[in-house]
Amino acid sequence: MLLELDNVSAGYGGGPDIVDELSLEVEEGRTYCMIGPNGAGKSTVLKLIGGILAPRSGSIGFHGHEVGGLRPDQLLQRGICLVPQDPSLFTKMSVRKNLMMGAYLESDRSVARDRLDEIFSMFPILADKERQPAGTLSGGQQQILLLARALMIRPAFMMIDEPSLGLAPQAADQVFEIIAELKSLGITLLLVEQSVERGLAVSDWAFVLDLGQKRFEGPSDQILADPRIRELYMGKAPTVE
Amino acid sequence: MVDTHQDPLLATQPPAQPSSNGRRSRVVCSIGLTGLLLLLPLSRPIVGGLYNYVMQVATIALMWVALATSWNLIGGYAGYISLGNNVFFGIGGYLAGALLVYQGWSPFVTALLAGLVGFLVGLMVGLITLRTRGPAFIIATIALLLMAALIFDNWELVGGANGLSLPLPQFPRDWARAPFYLAMLIAAAGSVVLSWKVAHSKLGLGLRALAQDEVKAEVLGIDTKRYKIIAFALSGIFPAVVGAIWGYSLTYLRPSIFFTIGIAAQMVLMAIIGGRATVAGPAVGAILLVTLNEASVSQFGSSELNIVVTGGILIVVLLFFPLGIVGSLRQRGKLPAFLDWD
Amino acid sequence: MNIPQTLILGLVLGGVYALMASGVTLLFGVMRIVNLAHGVFMLLAAYGAFFLFTEWGFDPFLSLIVTMPSMFIFGMVIHRFLFPRLEGSDRYSEMTVLLTFGLALVLEGLLGFFFTGIFRSTSPAYATESILLGDLFIPKGQLYGAVASVVLLLALGALLGYTKIGHAIQATSQNRTAAQTVGVNVSRVSTFAFGVGMALAGAAGSLMSYLFTFFPGQHWQWIAILLSLIVLGGMGSIRGAIVGALLLAVLAGFVSNAFGATWSPMTFYLALFVILLIRPEGLFGEKEAV
Repeated sequence: MLLELDNVSAGYGGGPDIVDELSLEVEEGRTYCMIGPNGAGKSTVLKLIGGILAPRSGSIGFHGHEVGGLRPDQLLQRGICLVPQDPSLFTKMSVRKNLMMGAYLESDRSVARDRLDEIFSMFPILADKERQPAGTLSGGQQQILLLARALMIRPAFMMIDEPSLGLAPQAADQVFEIIAELKSLGITLLLVEQSVERGLAVSDWAFVLDLGQKRFEGPSDQILADPRIRELYMGKAPTVE
Repeated sequence: MVDTHQDPLLATQPPAQPSSNGRRSRVVCSIGLTGLLLLLPLSRPIVGGLYNYVMQVATIALMWVALATSWNLIGGYAGYISLGNNVFFGIGGYLAGALLVYQGWSPFVTALLAGLVGFLVGLMVGLITLRTRGPAFIIATIALLLMAALIFDNWELVGGANGLSLPLPQFPRDWARAPFYLAMLIAAAGSVVLSWKVAHSKLGLGLRALAQDEVKAEVLGIDTKRYKIIAFALSGIFPAVVGAIWGYSLTYLRPSIFFTIGIAAQMVLMAIIGGRATVAGPAVGAILLVTLNEASVSQFGSSELNIVVTGGILIVVLLFFPLGIVGSLRQRGKLPAFLDWD
Repeated sequence: MNIPQTLILGLVLGGVYALMASGVTLLFGVMRIVNLAHGVFMLLAAYGAFFLFTEWGFDPFLSLIVTMPSMFIFGMVIHRFLFPRLEGSDRYSEMTVLLTFGLALVLEGLLGFFFTGIFRSTSPAYATESILLGDLFIPKGQLYGAVASVVLLLALGALLGYTKIGHAIQATSQNRTAAQTVGVNVSRVSTFAFGVGMALAGAAGSLMSYLFTFFPGQHWQWIAILLSLIVLGGMGSIRGAIVGALLLAVLAGFVSNAFGATWSPMTFYLALFVILLIRPEGLFGEKEAV
């Protein structure tokens, strides 16, 4: 087991618990998707694992070691990478510089440069815009840059918060193609995705969250097909996205 | 379940009113306090030789209550730190003083005009400086203060750096202090009532929300610009009023009386120690600091050690007691009802 | 009024102002802290330079070797001990402003205690000498100061643009959360940046020691001027601060000529209000996102 949350509770500032004694397990190499209504705490779970928020109680284990409360840079060194919701790019820096920042923890700069070449060949659209400020890219391109930047450090475990948020369907398609590619690279993925169909289509296993707790979990195709869950969390009829 | 962390209004809801017992004790205490304050000028038989001193300290304390409570409107409720609110203080003092010297009008009357001018100046300055969200405001208030100091230092009409001498008030010797004391009392009461009214109004709720998270407040439809500007304009009224009275009581005006950073610092410190964003807090802070000042026999002004202590206390309070006296007591549930006016 | 002369004087002085402004801007950019104590840190260095000059005959430029590193360390220590407590708090920017305000008061008081209120300044020979360039007089002291400022600003640019920590500072400045997610230890970077900002203040202080006379309360005027420059340039933009500094210093020079030196600070204050009136985001700033 790669990652385990055990009865974790957390909230912001002095406020109430957003995540309420949540437990879940993530196995290496699989792709997971978290769905649920707004305010269910999905983003909060990612922030918890990613070190942006510390748990109030419970434990978070990675490869068996306790990682709850560690800083993001410490987690990154262990291989846990969070791709937060936008805006998360360095908008004034060029695409190239953004990517190189992705390799910040790589002490061997030549390795970083090699990775950069790899990334450019994987994502020709980024190679095209190498010198442009990241802020000038379109929404879809920015999201691709975001994912590419995370790849620069070859994380073992990547969490992506709302990858297709605010994107036109075509751009969203592109982003999910990349997510599929990430899967094929063997990276363990945990997605939070508003577009339930897409999220469940690309993942192996799904968690359904509501009010800070895990209500259901199971293989993605089962969850997708389950009429109860559909009604509660996805609106009455299946829609084509 | 409502995500209160995302709803600034709910997250910052002022706590419930005190119980009926509490309310009764509040009323009793308020009446008692008011009575005491009103009767103080008659206390000569009790305090004997200390009468003038007691009256003077009480007058100063009330003045600072007005200054700190007014500062709290913008610095506490709205969370916009102003380091130049004493500009209103000085404008009031100079306006009333000049009108006294050149027109013979009593500052006790022109103090009201001063209050209005203070409001208008606050409005104008606010319109320029409160259009952005960030720290530009704080910077502007410092600049405002220094500008005022520079202007008044060089303005021949009001004596420049040498200042302006005011005619002595014609009160019978025994009762010389009483009118100033009563005027300050009225001003202090006025400022506290204003603060209370603001705290319990839509304006107050909006200010609290924007102090917490301005962007979210705007998204919720709160007209943050208007609220900020109104708060700042209101914060200029009573400093101007007490400035008029204070200048008159000193019988001379000099820029260094009004336009120094030390005075701004005192206002801030009093509000923060007492508990910013509360009605009673600044008053508590003002009374406490004036008392301490007297106890350490140092001047109302800035000697070097005075500044060190002011700054030092500010740092300590910020780091360890950010809610101030009233706020910390409330947090622990130990706030006596007569201090609980929020 | 001799226009080219006034222009040159303004530009040269502006160089030093630019140096001062860059320190505060750096701090604001990285930590969103409006450092009201920046002026008093410069003053601290100025008094230090004064002490070194009067006791041991150190030339103010020599004192840079002392003031810059000691301010760097002092800055990092202050940041490490005072600011972490405020990190998670609700009203972070308010609290930090008040904290730096308190710090400024404490340091001002201490300086007053040790050095008294007498106006001080160092007086190396070049402070009163001038170079003749054609028809124009260029005061040596100010020229040297401008050159030193340019050198330091270039060094700052190199630090930010070409070193790993410099990139980390830029990243933290632009998007703190994003910087965290790529592995930047933002708190350590902030401390370092605070040190750098303080070192710049230290350098400015050494230069100020012979350019101006100073007394403990002087820093309020400096900080008001600096902060006005920053708002003019667009908060957080070092480039903007530099341009603002040059522009306003030249303008202030003309004002000084026309109305007398007392009124020259007024230029900065009025410029601040004018900018807030017509273009609140500053010359190089970005409009606030809603």
